[in-house]
Amino acid sequence: MERRLQQAFFGLSILALVLIVAAAWQANTPSWKTYQHNFLQLEAQGEPNEVTKAAVLATPPEIHQVILTGLQRVDRCTTCHLGVEDPTMKNAPEPFRYHQGLGPHTPSRFGCTICHGGQGLATDTNGAHGKVDFWPNPLLNKDYIRASCGRCHKEGDVPGVPELTEGRRLFESQGCRGCHKLNGVGGSIGPDLTAEGANHRSPDWLERHFLTPNAVSAGSAMPNFHFNNEQAKQLTYFMLSLTSEEMGSYYSSVRLIPGPEYGRQLFVEKNCIACHNIGGVGAKTGPNLAGVTKAHSAQWLDEQLVNPELVYPGSSMPAYDLDANARKALLSFLNTATADDAQLILSNRTKALTPEDVAIESGHQAYARFGCVGCHGADLQGGVANPNAQGGEVPSLLHLSDDYTKDEVLAVIRNGRAPPLDNPNGPTPPLYMPSWKKVLSDEDINHIADFLWSKQQKKKADSW
Amino acid sequence: MNLFREIYQSIVRRDSLSTDKGKSELVFLNVWLHIHPAKVKKEHMKFRHTFYLGFVTFFLFLILVTTGIVLMVYYRPFPPQAYQDMKDLEFVVFMGPFLRAMHRWSAHAMVVCVFLHMCRVFYTGSYKKPRQFNWVVGVMLLLLTLGLSFTGYLLPWDQLAYWAITVGSNIGSYAPLVGGQLREWLLGGHSVGEAALVRFYVLHVAVLPSAIILLTIVHLWRVRKDGGLSRPVWTLKKDKPQDLVTIGAPVGAAALKTSAASPSKTYGLMEVVTGKPIFETITPEEEEDTVFSYPYAFVREAVALMVTVTGIMMVSLFFHAPLEELANPAKTPNPAKAPWYFLGLQELVSHSAMLGGVVAPALMVLALLAIPYIDRNPSRRISDRKWAIWLFTIFVVANLILIVVGTFFRGPGWALVPPWVHVVAGAE
Repeated sequence: MERRLQQAFFGLSILALVLIVAAAWQANTPSWKTYQHNFLQLEAQGEPNEVTKAAVLATPPEIHQVILTGLQRVDRCTTCHLGVEDPTMKNAPEPFRYHQGLGPHTPSRFGCTICHGGQGLATDTNGAHGKVDFWPNPLLNKDYIRASCGRCHKEGDVPGVPELTEGRRLFESQGCRGCHKLNGVGGSIGPDLTAEGANHRSPDWLERHFLTPNAVSAGSAMPNFHFNNEQAKQLTYFMLSLTSEEMGSYYSSVRLIPGPEYGRQLFVEKNCIACHNIGGVGAKTGPNLAGVTKAHSAQWLDEQLVNPELVYPGSSMPAYDLDANARKALLSFLNTATADDAQLILSNRTKALTPEDVAIESGHQAYARFGCVGCHGADLQGGVANPNAQGGEVPSLLHLSDDYTKDEVLAVIRNGRAPPLDNPNGPTPPLYMPSWKKVLSDEDINHIADFLWSKQQKKKADSW
Repeated sequence: MNLFREIYQSIVRRDSLSTDKGKSELVFLNVWLHIHPAKVKKEHMKFRHTFYLGFVTFFLFLILVTTGIVLMVYYRPFPPQAYQDMKDLEFVVFMGPFLRAMHRWSAHAMVVCVFLHMCRVFYTGSYKKPRQFNWVVGVMLLLLTLGLSFTGYLLPWDQLAYWAITVGSNIGSYAPLVGGQLREWLLGGHSVGEAALVRFYVLHVAVLPSAIILLTIVHLWRVRKDGGLSRPVWTLKKDKPQDLVTIGAPVGAAALKTSAASPSKTYGLMEVVTGKPIFETITPEEEEDTVFSYPYAFVREAVALMVTVTGIMMVSLFFHAPLEELANPAKTPNPAKAPWYFLGLQELVSHSAMLGGVVAPALMVLALLAIPYIDRNPSRRISDRKWAIWLFTIFVVANLILIVVGTFFRGPGWALVPPWVHVVAGAE
C-alpha cells in the first residue's frame, strides 16, 4: 500500500509536469506565429543580399498592435496582416496583401476594425474576424464596409459612398423621424435610432427589414414604404453608420469633409460677396478673390481667416469664428471659384421672397424633416395602413380646411391625438399623432400649418 | 563542506528520518507541519471515512491563491479596462487562458467540495461535542467561499458577470428593512457599476481571503485540539465516561491528586494541572493502532494534492473559462441567471420573492449554524440518528433539485424548458 501510494505520487507529479508542458506548448504555438514566419519567408524571397536575408528571417515573432485611444480600441490585426502598409505586397496572398486606396486612413491612425468590424484584440483568425460566440461585431461583408465611413463623416457628401448620402437623404425625406428619434429629435413610436449601428444587426437583416418590416420583426408598427432594393441598401448603409460612439477630436473633426461644396455654402452664409468680388463680380470693398489661392500659401490664407488684423494690421475684415475644416472648405471653394459662381450667388441673393413664401417653405421643410411625411405622405395624401383607426389608414391632410380651423390644427400638432377608432372594442391602432410641442417651436408649428393651408384642395363646387 | 552541513543542520534540526524521533521531530519542529500530530490513527487515514474532502478543498484554495495572484498582475478593476484585460489574458498573455481556466474551475470545484465536505461531516456526526463550534466555523467558511466565488464572478466584466451579479444582488435586496441598504452598500450605488466593480475586487482579493485564511487556521487548529479527526463511525465503541487524567502525563498514568490552590502561591503556566480534557482520549490499545504522520499521512495528503492539481490542470487544458460580450447594462439577456450556486434561490424567488430572497436563505444559514446545538443526540451512529439524517438529506436533495432546475430547465422568461429543447430567441 505505502509503496503504491509513493508510486502514485510520483506518477501524478510526472503527469502534472506533462500537463504544464502541454499548456506551455499550447500557449507557445499560436497561429499568428506561423503567419509571421510565412511572411518573413515571403519578404526574404526577394532579398538578394544574404546578410539582410538572414536578418529578415531572424526577426523575432511579436504581436503588433495599434492603440487607438481616440477610437477606444486596440487593433492587433497587423499581427497577421503584415503587408497592409507595404506596397510591394500588392500581389501577395492573404493575409499579407497590401491595402490599396486607403488615402489618409492609414492603419497606424485608424486601425482596421473601425471600418471592417471584427475583434481587434483577438490574435486568432476566428476570434479576430469575430466569427465566434459572444462577439456581436463580426467582419462586415465587403459590400457594406463603406458604410463605416459614415461613423466619422456624419454630414455632407462622402466621396465614393453615394449610398450613405442617399440613405441620409431618404431618412430625412421619407419622414422616418415621425416615429424614430435620431440624436434626440423625432417621435417615439418606433425605437431610437441614434445608436442603431451599435446594435450590430446584420446588414442582411436591416435590408430585409426595409423591404418588408413585418417579415423580420413580427407585429412591427412600421409601415411598408415599398422601398426598392437599392433604397433598402442605402438606408442600411445609413443605419450601420449610426454608432454614436465617442471619438477623439481628430476623428470627430472630419464630421463634414471640407470640400468646395461646403466652402461655397459658407461663402454664401458668411456673405463674403458683400465685400469681396470674384473676377470683378461682386463688391469692390475687399480684394478680388479670384486666384487668391495661387497668390498666397495655404498657411497664409488660413491665418488670414483666423485673424485678419494679425496679417494685415488695420484690415477691416472681421474675424469669423471658423474651425479648421471650415477654413479648409472655404479655401477649396476659392481654389475653383469663378466669376460665374459669384454671379450665381448674387442672383440667388436678390431673388425676393415674400414672408409668406418663406413661412410656407420653412413649414414644408419642417414637415419633411420632423417626419410628418412618414405617415401623411410627401403630398399630404395619407394612406399608410393603421388597423382599426377610422378608415383603416392615416388620414390625408389635403382637405383639412373643410373640417378644421387653423387653430384646431395647431392644437392637434401641439398636443397630439389618438386616432378615432373604427371598432370601439377593437385593438388600439399602432400609429397615433404624437405631441410635438416639446420637439417643435411654436414658430415651426405655425409654419407647418401655413404649409398645410397652402396645399388645401378646395372642395369642388357641387356640380348639379 | 562542514559549513554547508552546519547551515543545513541549522535549518533542519531534526534527527535522521530513519529514527522514530526524527519522524516525530519532522512534524513538531516544523512550523508548517506541526498542525499535524506526530502520530495519527490508522483509521483516520481511511479514504472512505473522509474522502479527503477537507484536504481537497484546502488544496483548491491554494491553487486559487496562486493563480489569483498571477491574475491580479494583469487586471485593472475598472470598466471597461477590466474586460479588455480579460481579452488580453485570452489572446496575448503567455498561458493566460490556462491560468484563467484554472482559477475559474478551481473556484467552482471549491464551492462543490466545501459543500460535500459539510455533508460528510454531517453524515458522520462529526459536529457533535466537543466539535460543535468547529462546525459553526465550517459553515462560516462555506459562506465565505460562496462570497469569494460571487465577488470573483463580477470581475471579468462581461455580460455573464454583470447580469449574474445584478440578479444575485437583487435576491439579497428582498430582505426587509436592511435588504436595499445592504445591496446599496455592497454595490456602491443602485445598480452594478464602476463602484461595484472596485468593491467586489477589494472584497475578492483582500477582505474575504484574509477572513477565510484566519478562519481556516481556527478550523484546523480546533480539529487538532479536538484530538484529530473524528473516529470513523464504524469503529465507534460503546461510549465510556471520560476518566480524570493528568494532561501531559503519560497515557494510563494515575491522575494526580488535586489540592486546593494556596492563596499565597503564584502558579505558572508550566504547571501540571488536573482536569477533564476537552478532546477524545485514547487508550493504550488504541495507541498501538497509530502510525507516524511521516510518511503515512503525508504521502496520502500529497497524493490528494496531486490528484487535485492534475485534475484541475487537465480540465483547464481542454475547457477555457467562458467570456461573453462586454457588460451592457442596456441589454438584458433572457433569462438572466445568478451564479449556479444561487440558482436554487433564484428558482424560489421566481415563485415568491419573500420565500427565495429572505425566508429560505435566512433559514438555511441559521439552521446550518444551529445544527450542533439543536441536535442534542450524543450518538454518532447512523442507526441512532434517523431523523437528523433524513432531514439533512431532504435539505441537500431539495437544494440540488432547485439548482438543477434553475440551471438546466429554465429558458427565456424563466419558462420551464428542458435542456434538450433548443429555444431560438425571437428577433428583437
